[in-house]
Amino acid sequence: MDMRNLRFALKQEGHSRRDIFEVLTKHAFPQSHNLNTYIYVSAKLWVLYNVLQGLPNERWRVTFINEHYGLCDTYPSLLVVPYNATDDDLKKVAAFRSRNRIPVLSWIHPENQAVIMRCSQPLVGMSGKRNKDDERYLDIIREANGQISKLTIYDARPNVNAVANKATGGGYESEDAYPNAELFFLDIHNIHVMRESLKKLKDIVYPNVEESHWLSSLESTHWLEHIKLVLTGAIQVADKVSSGRSSVLVHCSDGWDRTAQLTSLAMLMLDSYYRTIEGFEVLVQKEWISFGHKFASRIGHGDKNHADADRSPIFLQFIDCVWQMSKQVFYKVRPFQLLLLIILQVNQISNPGMLLSNDQPNPVEQRYMELLALRDDYMRRLEELQITNNSKIPNSSASSTSPSQMMSQVQTHF
Amino acid sequence: MEFSELIKTATVESVLLSCAGQPAVKGTLCITSHHLLLSSCPGGDGQPSAVELWLLIRNVDAVEKRLAGSSGTITLRCKDLKVLQLEIPGMEECLNIASSIEALSSVDSVMMMYPFFHRPQNLRLEEGWPRLPMEQHFQQIAVQTAQWRLSDVNQDFAICPTYPPAVIVPAAVSEETLRRAARFRHGGRFPVLSYFHTRNGTVMLRSGQPLTGPNRKRCPEDEMLLGSVLDEGERGFIIDTRSAQAAKQARMTGGGTEPKSSYPQWKRLHRPLERGRPLQESFIKLVEACNDASLGMDRWLGRLESCRWLSHVKAALSTACLAAQCLDREESSVLVHGAEGTDTTLLVTALAQVILEPGCRTLKGFQGLLEREWIQAGHPFHLRCARSAYSHARLKQEAPLFLLFLDCVWQLSRQFPFSLEFSEELLLTLFDNAYASDYGTFLCNNEKERCLCKVKENTHSLWAWLDQPEERKKYLNPLYSPNPLVIWPSVEPQSIQLWQGLFFRWVRSSQYLDEAWAEIWRLVEGSNTAVKESTENRLSRSLSDPAARMENER
Repeated sequence: MDMRNLRFALKQEGHSRRDIFEVLTKHAFPQSHNLNTYIYVSAKLWVLYNVLQGLPNERWRVTFINEHYGLCDTYPSLLVVPYNATDDDLKKVAAFRSRNRIPVLSWIHPENQAVIMRCSQPLVGMSGKRNKDDERYLDIIREANGQISKLTIYDARPNVNAVANKATGGGYESEDAYPNAELFFLDIHNIHVMRESLKKLKDIVYPNVEESHWLSSLESTHWLEHIKLVLTGAIQVADKVSSGRSSVLVHCSDGWDRTAQLTSLAMLMLDSYYRTIEGFEVLVQKEWISFGHKFASRIGHGDKNHADADRSPIFLQFIDCVWQMSKQVFYKVRPFQLLLLIILQVNQISNPGMLLSNDQPNPVEQRYMELLALRDDYMRRLEELQITNNSKIPNSSASSTSPSQMMSQVQTHF
Repeated sequence: MEFSELIKTATVESVLLSCAGQPAVKGTLCITSHHLLLSSCPGGDGQPSAVELWLLIRNVDAVEKRLAGSSGTITLRCKDLKVLQLEIPGMEECLNIASSIEALSSVDSVMMMYPFFHRPQNLRLEEGWPRLPMEQHFQQIAVQTAQWRLSDVNQDFAICPTYPPAVIVPAAVSEETLRRAARFRHGGRFPVLSYFHTRNGTVMLRSGQPLTGPNRKRCPEDEMLLGSVLDEGERGFIIDTRSAQAAKQARMTGGGTEPKSSYPQWKRLHRPLERGRPLQESFIKLVEACNDASLGMDRWLGRLESCRWLSHVKAALSTACLAAQCLDREESSVLVHGAEGTDTTLLVTALAQVILEPGCRTLKGFQGLLEREWIQAGHPFHLRCARSAYSHARLKQEAPLFLLFLDCVWQLSRQFPFSLEFSEELLLTLFDNAYASDYGTFLCNNEKERCLCKVKENTHSLWAWLDQPEERKKYLNPLYSPNPLVIWPSVEPQSIQLWQGLFFRWVRSSQYLDEAWAEIWRLVEGSNTAVKESTENRLSRSLSDPAARMENER
């Protein structure tokens, strides 16, 4: 299962891919459309997540201000914010953040209480606007874990782009306005650059690889450079929170592409729960789906307009990064290739009856939840097969164990 | 020449040893005839001193000295690609140590090398030296066919100085025919059997180039030899590891190719494989690139490509696959040769056997393959592995053919992780020992030289060491599951990967990988115990329960 090959097969419009996917899902996850499952599993996940993180506590509270997506329609309904920030404060901060995406909690370090917060860019603009509420809010965040050192802000963009964004009303947190914060640019390029990079990669791989210049062609796509930058950025975030014992705020422009990559990768590095199969699903559910990554636009599935500027392989890059991590530390990261591929295919779902919409997360979430709930069934059946296999007396007349049997044994244990 | 003459300063105290990835250690440095030793100073709390460095001087590829004030730093770059630094107080001591190491590492006389002095306590000298390896191999063939015989025409190495004393030849061919054919082949390397493919009775032969020369000489005995391999109407393939142009040019210096008219049943295929200096340079450039910490992701791949090492790996695997295909798919016998028949020829025949023959993928079978196709077959290890990738010395006849073979085997192990009984650790150990060893297995250039130097009588065999139970486990692959099929590797560029375990061995910690392999061992052994236990449980239950016993028997 060479992930790269399958990836490009998926990009092709056509029936055969659909057939393969139908067969795969039919055998892996028997069909079921139980809405109750969705609600139950969704609630279960949130409860689980909160309990795991030890939340709420005396420093962090759950706010229901966005229960009906009134504050921010691309954020989840439940948000975790500093205890000392009132809902009113949050409303005021929302006015200064692109698309109302205020800083909220992604992850809290169980020992040193440093946090990873995520948001979108501040609406500084050409005139260098300031917002006292936003500035105070960042201070509240910093003080929430009793931190004396500055709050670290990671702007995922290259310096140049962040500055350029001022022309369209955006920008970044300047030193003058935020003296208690220090900002670093992570140099990760935007969705258009990534789209181009993937296109180049596809061109050199499909229909077949040209032998004599494979590596230099691969280098010219810059795909692996981008992967490296994303991973390096995530490492910086993770390191600041764990060794630096310092809270971190991550944003890009809108806070739903590069930000999602950084927070979810950092959480994978920091928290072993997210390296379990269930945890990984929670991670994707939380940092990507519920925080409004525009799956439909980014994948552009079902839309014949291939030149659509919104398409970009951001989630794919994330999966590539996870795969890179698993290659290096492979037995500590549970989602092996099969699961990663299935998640990619969830992205590619084409169901005529389903509207793939961005700001009502329900239909995509729903399908995802179905698969999630039915995954348990699959795992149980796999275990049953394991037990049956193990209890068989080896038949000496049969040929020696086939490699695939061995493989499933070893992988399940992972 | 006495070793002691070469040692200018035998001992220096307070030397600081540093090695990438490890904390620096201070201790006393000693030079002996064959080793560089550093024992750390006894600890303050009564800790005894420990030997931190035990380096075979033969392993040193390049010595650099840098003097600063009253002390100097010596950088030792080793043939196994390790790099160490010794900070030596005292300029004179530093210079003496450096020149002593240089002199000792350049000792070229085989019998002065360490294997002749190495005497591990628990091994006997005769252990591990394969008794009659060609005879054993021949026995396996003789039970399947009477078409081949074992010839001792070369028993005193008179016919071919680089062949072993026993070779496998067509049964129908006389000794005299062999003698004459030998005169028509480069280095006397007449066509001999390398491998018999059980499934269909086809064979793989190897030889040196025919000495056709500019006057298109012919040799009826050589033609008869090759003719007797094929039946009436059968077709064979000659895989020439030189380009068509190079092969043609070889005629000018007395070599050449088998002309179609004289060898009508044989079709010639050219698959140029790099050897000699360009291959050594590719190796050198690759190691340089791997050690270059300044390379970012924006330049690494281009640099890797410019070394061309991976394209050599691909070409070797590709050619070996071709040979295997001829045998297994085309059902045709194959003759492999290059110019001399001691480098790329052996690379192809050995690799083809790993692809085709499950027996060569077991630990024992692989050892046998190495003995037959590399050591006995006369690959000139002493010349090829005199210098490794760091040496500044003028290159003579060095070329990393054996390393290329090991790299190709590693590619196979990566593509077929369950099909090889041995692990990457074995391949790394073989690499190390080919360049510098405590053992005599890779000494000399051929069997004749080994007999003259009395290697088998006076050195220990590497196999004896590796085959010890406590050592052996390190070289086994926990995922091994015997695969009776031919393993066809992908030679697409994206399938050929850099052998990180070798080229980054000292650059990057393998901690995670080591932990992962330990975990895999635990899982495999645990699962084996579980199967064993459940089998035992079931059997013991059935013994006590007549109904269950009947069930079992059914």
